[in-house]
Amino acid sequence: MLLPVFIDGFGAKAFGSPNSAFMEALVNLATTTDRVLVMIQLNGGNDGLNMVIPLDQMSQYNTLRSNIALPEARVLKLNGNGTTGLHTAMTGLQSLYNDGMLSIVHSVSYPTPNFSHFRASDIWFTGADSNQTLTTGWTGRYLNQEWPGYPVGFPTKDTPDPLAIQIGYITSTAFAGPAGPMAVAIPNPDTFAQLVGDKPQIDSGTVTNTPAGKHVAYIRQQQLSSVAYAAQIKVAAGKGKNLATYPTGNSLAEQLKIVSRLIHGGLQTRVYYVTIGGFDTHAEQVTATDTTVGNHANLMRTLSDAIRSFQDDLKLQGIDDRVAGMTFSEFGRRAISNASRGTDHGAAAPLFVFGKGVKTQVVGKNPNLSDLDNNNIRMQTDFRQVYAALLADWLGEGQPEMATVLQRSFDASPIFRQTITATEPAPVAFRLYPNPASDQVLLETDTFSAGIDRVALYDPAGRRVGVAVNRLTDHALGLNVQALAAGTYIVSVESGSKRLTERLVVAR
Amino acid sequence: MALLDPIKKPLTLQQAAHLLRRATFGPSPAQIQQFTGQTPQAAVSALLATTPTPAPPVDPLTTKPFNTLPFDPLQQGNWQGATKYWWIGLMLNEGASLREKMTLFWQNHFVSTFNEVSDARYMYRQNTVLRRHALGSFRSFVIDMTKDPAMLRYLNGNQNVAGKPNENYGRELQELFTIGRGNYSEDDVKAAARVLTGWTETGYRSATTGDVTTTFKAAQHDTTDKVFSDAYQKTVIKGRTGTTAGDDELGDLVDMILKQPETARFLVRKLYRWFINADLTPDIELNFIEPLAKVFRDGGYEIKTVLTALLTSQHFYDDALRGAVVKSPVELTLGTLRYFGITAPDPVANPMGFTQLTAYVWSRSRDLQQDIMDQPTVFGWRPYYDTGHYELWINSTTLALRGLYTDQVAAGNVKYGADKLTLDPVVLAQRTADPSDPVKLIDEWSAQFFATDLTKSQRDFLIDNVLVSGLPRYEWTAEWLTYASAPTDKSKLMAVRTKLNTTLQFMFRMAEYQLN
Repeated sequence: MLLPVFIDGFGAKAFGSPNSAFMEALVNLATTTDRVLVMIQLNGGNDGLNMVIPLDQMSQYNTLRSNIALPEARVLKLNGNGTTGLHTAMTGLQSLYNDGMLSIVHSVSYPTPNFSHFRASDIWFTGADSNQTLTTGWTGRYLNQEWPGYPVGFPTKDTPDPLAIQIGYITSTAFAGPAGPMAVAIPNPDTFAQLVGDKPQIDSGTVTNTPAGKHVAYIRQQQLSSVAYAAQIKVAAGKGKNLATYPTGNSLAEQLKIVSRLIHGGLQTRVYYVTIGGFDTHAEQVTATDTTVGNHANLMRTLSDAIRSFQDDLKLQGIDDRVAGMTFSEFGRRAISNASRGTDHGAAAPLFVFGKGVKTQVVGKNPNLSDLDNNNIRMQTDFRQVYAALLADWLGEGQPEMATVLQRSFDASPIFRQTITATEPAPVAFRLYPNPASDQVLLETDTFSAGIDRVALYDPAGRRVGVAVNRLTDHALGLNVQALAAGTYIVSVESGSKRLTERLVVAR
Repeated sequence: MALLDPIKKPLTLQQAAHLLRRATFGPSPAQIQQFTGQTPQAAVSALLATTPTPAPPVDPLTTKPFNTLPFDPLQQGNWQGATKYWWIGLMLNEGASLREKMTLFWQNHFVSTFNEVSDARYMYRQNTVLRRHALGSFRSFVIDMTKDPAMLRYLNGNQNVAGKPNENYGRELQELFTIGRGNYSEDDVKAAARVLTGWTETGYRSATTGDVTTTFKAAQHDTTDKVFSDAYQKTVIKGRTGTTAGDDELGDLVDMILKQPETARFLVRKLYRWFINADLTPDIELNFIEPLAKVFRDGGYEIKTVLTALLTSQHFYDDALRGAVVKSPVELTLGTLRYFGITAPDPVANPMGFTQLTAYVWSRSRDLQQDIMDQPTVFGWRPYYDTGHYELWINSTTLALRGLYTDQVAAGNVKYGADKLTLDPVVLAQRTADPSDPVKLIDEWSAQFFATDLTKSQRDFLIDNVLVSGLPRYEWTAEWLTYASAPTDKSKLMAVRTKLNTTLQFMFRMAEYQLN
């Protein structure tokens, strides 16, 4: 009933000002990648210690939270990992881990953690330091860097789709860009598509029979078509198909189902965002008789089943190598439980990154339950190291861009990289010729067994420059620099976890 | 109870807010409080009180007035902008008064445009005439408008000479400014044009003089008698000669037109659509327009008299008509700022800040299809006369731009000079009875932001899906109290501010916010 009232959300943007040639030029700078990031927010502060269980410290675990502790025998075991287990209800994620597609990042937080829901959420959304307030979100800054000026002048011919879609009513602060939200909020594309059809159906029962009621009905109808991307979303929602079976009565699965359908339907949206609430488990997170069931267990099952079916769907759709997802929550909960079978606001907690691209399945180690900070788990990984991994190793941002988005450079958490144990051979630079060049450049390397993953070009000011690239072989690429102004550029080549740079002179 | 009967009981908060939303460019919470409890008569009398004549616009480069300077083609664009910004500044900075809202009503009634007139000094001069008469006598108003230099150019009155009359003004005077279409004949157009021969203006785009004046050239005046049709009871306006002929005949012409009951009806209908509702049902015609037109005519066409009757009437305060008007672009742009007490800086002391803020508001209003002093046609803005009426302001593009504007304003992204627009939602929340209670907070904000009442499910939605979004409601209380106990802690402040900002932006994008 409420849907039409709020469907505009406030990510919805107009066919705003006319495009300028300058805008078009900037727009073309966007990195060419078909990779997608799905963010799953666990709203309320997830009890990480009952999600990822330190099997090596069960006695201390039981001491800290006897009234909510999961019995060791019921903790789900992981292949090749004797020290860490998952919540009893997370069979889906257990299998995903065993299939090599789940990465557990231990004890993620930031220095001087905040215990306010709103403030802590804002820190995660904006990527701010604890003592700093930012008004733009980290994904907002990332998208703004790739598509400067958005939403003015968008959609364009080259960027016909929303940059980011949040399933919901309002867009997260994570998407706040310098000129407003960089994402579009849509509650549900099915109702949405119906409603944006040629003759929108507005439930007249919800408005009063007065001039104001008539105006409200009219304006709501216009709000639907004011979403600039309505047609594109409708087309994608129509073309995309869910091929896996999703669990029913699972609010997260419902949202992820929409996401996979839109990706499958060809939407070129780079970031999706879904939310599940209910994690603020101050009381009765487990039942009195069985700690493996109760509110938190339901949340764990919902999360696990939803992600598993989503991953299955992506595989059947043939797009699973394009999608990576992460879960996050504004904080973890206290290691020590309270008397009402609940846990209070805490600090560090584990998060998951999933997808075919995951390479390192455990980042960090189990939290040390004998070395707590005021009953709170200490940080091992800064959440911005996870963001750095997503930006640099998944979405293909260069080092300078990543540092700009995150305000300074962070060491990317090695989620998408093979943890390197042996000594690396000294890298040999790739070959570029001719150099100086004026049109076609051949880029060749034989040092990378994995082949070339990504190539980016930067101008002397460090700005990424768009350039046409065609893959000749796994080890050779052709670059066309015909459209570039004369000058010196930096070519950056990425392969696996390695990145090499070389100077290229364009002459005219 | 007859629709036009005055109500005498003190205004409730909702009635006070309704009156101020319609009579001004939007109230602040303090003004709503101030008018609550006053009788409608006292409230309207305060809104009609005489206010000081504003200083003329200044050139932002020199901070000196330009209306008395010779025309300068290089400065025309600059002065045109400055005139529009100056007026936006008056609308933004005005207190609780009907003056600017009525000045805009009349500018949309007696339309002249920069686009046609192309001389800022003319347009400024006309604007002062509009303001001087906005709440005065309609008779003097029509006479001064007829002789106004900008109007003489806009409707070619300056080319209307004996033997070769230009009928443009003679027609619009009747069709659009007074009696309305269908109530005069083509011969009456010709006769009126002949009455009006001989008027012209001097100083247009003159590089040598800053004097802009109206003159009457007796030699170009048609001195024969003008005979009108049955529509005017076959009135004959006697042809005069000499320097006073123009004024004498014009006075007769205006008196003849004002004597017709249709003239009062025509004007009152237009006021009705400006202040109350677009829909003129037979019942409204009979029981509101007719008696109100009589009040206007019997009161000698005093504008204050008709406005008092209209704005104190039972019908004006009919609950079913709250929200019946879709906010015009300036009502939206200015109203949102006025609610937060944003005022434009002094144009002489801070010309950069003044210009940037007022130009921002002007350009956003123009994008939303309401460019002040530049109506698309002599008919004025379509929403006040054409089929569809106020809803013509709304389409998918303007609606998205409206949302973009309120987003920008609420997010505090707008800079002007050294200042930045900041609508502090925390301060706004503090002014409510109990900001720690999410139900009370949303109830109070809803009552203040919207002309109509939200349903309970809408208010619940705002609390659960927007303000606390997914968390239990007590978390809002906890967060607010945490902030309140350490109000100088920036991170605690930001925790609540971000949420309140999101909520404001959301509420400003709701359909209900577009209604007045």
